[in-house]
Amino acid sequence: MAPTTPKKTKEEPASKGSLNFSLISDVIDQTTFEQILEMDDEDDRDFSHGIVFGFFDQAETTFENMETALESKNLGELSSLGHFLKGSSATLGLSKVKDACEKIQHYGAGKDESGTSDEPDEEVSLKNIKTTLEDVKRDYKEVEGYLRKFFGDSPAPSE
Amino acid sequence: MVMTPPAEDSNFDLNVLHNDLDQIQISSANQHRKPIVDPSLSRIYRYTPIPTIILDASWCIVEVSDSHLAFSGRSRDSLLSTCICDVAPGAIPAPDIATLYGALRAALTTKETQVIENIHGTDTHHQLRVLPIFEGSELIYVILEAQNISKGIPLRATENQHAYINEIYKILVDTVKDYAIFMLDTSGNILTWNSGAAILKGYTAAEIIGRHFSIFYSQEDRRCSKPDRGLMVCLRDGKMEDEGWRYRQDGSRFWANVMITPVFEFGRHVGFVKVTRDLTERKAAEARMIAAFEESSKMKTDFLANMSHEIRTPMNGMLLALTMLAGTELNEEQHEYAAIMQDSSSILLQVINDVLDYSKLSSGSFSINADILDVASVVDAVARNCRSGLSPSVALSSSVSPGFPILQGDPLRFRQVLQNLVGNSVKFTEKGYIKISATFTVDEEDPRVYNLVTEVTDSGIGVPDSAINTLFTPFMRFADSKNRRYQGTGLGLSICKSLAELMNGSVGFRSNAEGHGSTFWFTTKMKSIDMTAPGKMSSLSSSPKAEDISDALRKIAPRKHILLVEDNLVNHMVMLKLLKSMGFERIDAAWNGAEAVRLINQTPLSFDAVLMDISMPVMDGLEATCQIREFNTDVPIIALTGNALKGDAETYLAKGMNDFIGKPVHRNDLVRILLKWVGT
Repeated sequence: MAPTTPKKTKEEPASKGSLNFSLISDVIDQTTFEQILEMDDEDDRDFSHGIVFGFFDQAETTFENMETALESKNLGELSSLGHFLKGSSATLGLSKVKDACEKIQHYGAGKDESGTSDEPDEEVSLKNIKTTLEDVKRDYKEVEGYLRKFFGDSPAPSE
Repeated sequence: MVMTPPAEDSNFDLNVLHNDLDQIQISSANQHRKPIVDPSLSRIYRYTPIPTIILDASWCIVEVSDSHLAFSGRSRDSLLSTCICDVAPGAIPAPDIATLYGALRAALTTKETQVIENIHGTDTHHQLRVLPIFEGSELIYVILEAQNISKGIPLRATENQHAYINEIYKILVDTVKDYAIFMLDTSGNILTWNSGAAILKGYTAAEIIGRHFSIFYSQEDRRCSKPDRGLMVCLRDGKMEDEGWRYRQDGSRFWANVMITPVFEFGRHVGFVKVTRDLTERKAAEARMIAAFEESSKMKTDFLANMSHEIRTPMNGMLLALTMLAGTELNEEQHEYAAIMQDSSSILLQVINDVLDYSKLSSGSFSINADILDVASVVDAVARNCRSGLSPSVALSSSVSPGFPILQGDPLRFRQVLQNLVGNSVKFTEKGYIKISATFTVDEEDPRVYNLVTEVTDSGIGVPDSAINTLFTPFMRFADSKNRRYQGTGLGLSICKSLAELMNGSVGFRSNAEGHGSTFWFTTKMKSIDMTAPGKMSSLSSSPKAEDISDALRKIAPRKHILLVEDNLVNHMVMLKLLKSMGFERIDAAWNGAEAVRLINQTPLSFDAVLMDISMPVMDGLEATCQIREFNTDVPIIALTGNALKGDAETYLAKGMNDFIGKPVHRNDLVRILLKWVGT
């Protein structure tokens, strides 16, 4: 199942899988994610599993919504969706996804990627979002893979 | 010595004057006249200090005492052998001859001493005693003794006067019907009884005289020997006044005012005078007045509170609509009108808030929460908040003593007082400076208690002497209310005063020592908190004491009611789980700001803290906070925010939030923040 997974750096009780946070530190924030794991009862991962898979649903729905908004050039909606997914990805410590969502939030608000200066051209903003959306989907697939492995689930069905 | 020389006999002519005189007596007296056997005894009458004349049976003077000569100013020779009727009455002394003879005759007839009273001389009063001396049935001598009673006469007159006045007083006292006036003897038994006493207490004089006055007291009073203590106090202090229930003969009671005064005669304590008034009616009237006053005061307060609340709701709608209107395309004139409307309505809102606070304070329904107070951060927040209204030529600075302890106090109330004082300074200072300073001292009696002094000094218009005494009186305003700059209710300072007093402190004013302007200060007394609490509102990081803090929160968490407002399902689930893991058992959830407002509005006092997401559909966290603050100024609202940008914090605090925590929420940060806001 995970033949290449190196030795765990941290002891996780009753874990079905494990994650080498040092290798994926830019993908998942260890502290935040472990906090979620700590909320589990001692003998199962029901809570964290529920949360993470809830996030998967949420993310996929959000990406669909983003595509729709992109087609209708609704920047406000895009910013709001970016903010929304940023919140939950931050809560789980999915840093890469969170960063990308924040960019979409800023672009949607007519700003540059860091939200510091204005971007008056809507077309530029839409183009930036289109690019970032592709990035964030890829980043999401990556972390989804890690997490599904960690929870001992089968890889996501290919679309 | 021969007392009556024989030669004198020829002068005896009594029959001529008084035919009714007994001839036999006279003759027999003459027959039995003998020399005095013991001459030494005759000296008695010669030298007696009482002016004395001795007559023989024929009423001729046979001896005169030296004292009489001194009194009458006559010589012995001119008197001896003279018939008494030939002596001037004043020299005897006698009022007149007729009276003298009347007395002599009575003395001879009755054989008893006769006294002629009240013989008035030029400046003396005498009485004359007429003593007939009989030997058997035979008159041998008559002794006339003049007694000087000059000293006794005025005394007698005073006695008469006394008797007269006593009689008047007796009538007066007896006539008084509204007061019971009576006397007690030294041990408290009743001696006299007036008609007022009879009416008031229901006893007749015959029934009560001789009884002990404690009969008027309740059993309880008697058990603790109140009556006797009253008499003791009265003797010690010279009088005793008391009010209390007393009982009538029929057992009914009345509210009495009692005055007891001791009475002394010639320095000796002889008893007490007791005056009792029936104040039952007056007391009942007073009680009715107090009840009426309290009722009207309560009605006023309720009215104010209700009205304020009712006015505030539409005001908010207006403000909101105005803000939206101002955002639409308006021409310059319309903009100006909109701005005036916005200005006026925000002043009106402030006025209503003041009135509501004031009515809450005056009804005593205002409470101070024991919370964590970081004075430095409150001072910072107030200074930031006031900067916007500041005139450009005014410098606002603040200083907080280094090492300021984290205290147990109410940060909202503390801030309200400071905000008000600084706000006043901002209003009344056109140029110069405003300085906020906060200092503390350790209380002398309790080392855990700190005395805080917070001062706001400005170089503004100051306070005129005439207004100093009424500065903190509700609705008193000294500033010219026509001037638009100085609008207000005149409640601000009186609210500050009440708040400071609720925090065991006070507020005060003095003129700015540097000449121009004012210094307003307020003091509070607060306990320190034994906890390494965060000094800053943001950037909390884990510390070695994380475990302790976690335990501390776990102890109080089950009793605390938290409202979580979060629209994102994932975050919502995580926060719920996190809160439960900290020990919270009562967590209500809302999925947007509008739901949160509704929940808090339904049970305004229920929640101990609100965790509020900022960006939410329907109504965001900031708008929700604004609306919540309209009816609930107390509940701590903590922002959950992904926008940990500088400046955002200020916006959140300005909107009425108390604190914020960045996403992703880290457990230790959340524990600290919750402990800070719900930990007591």
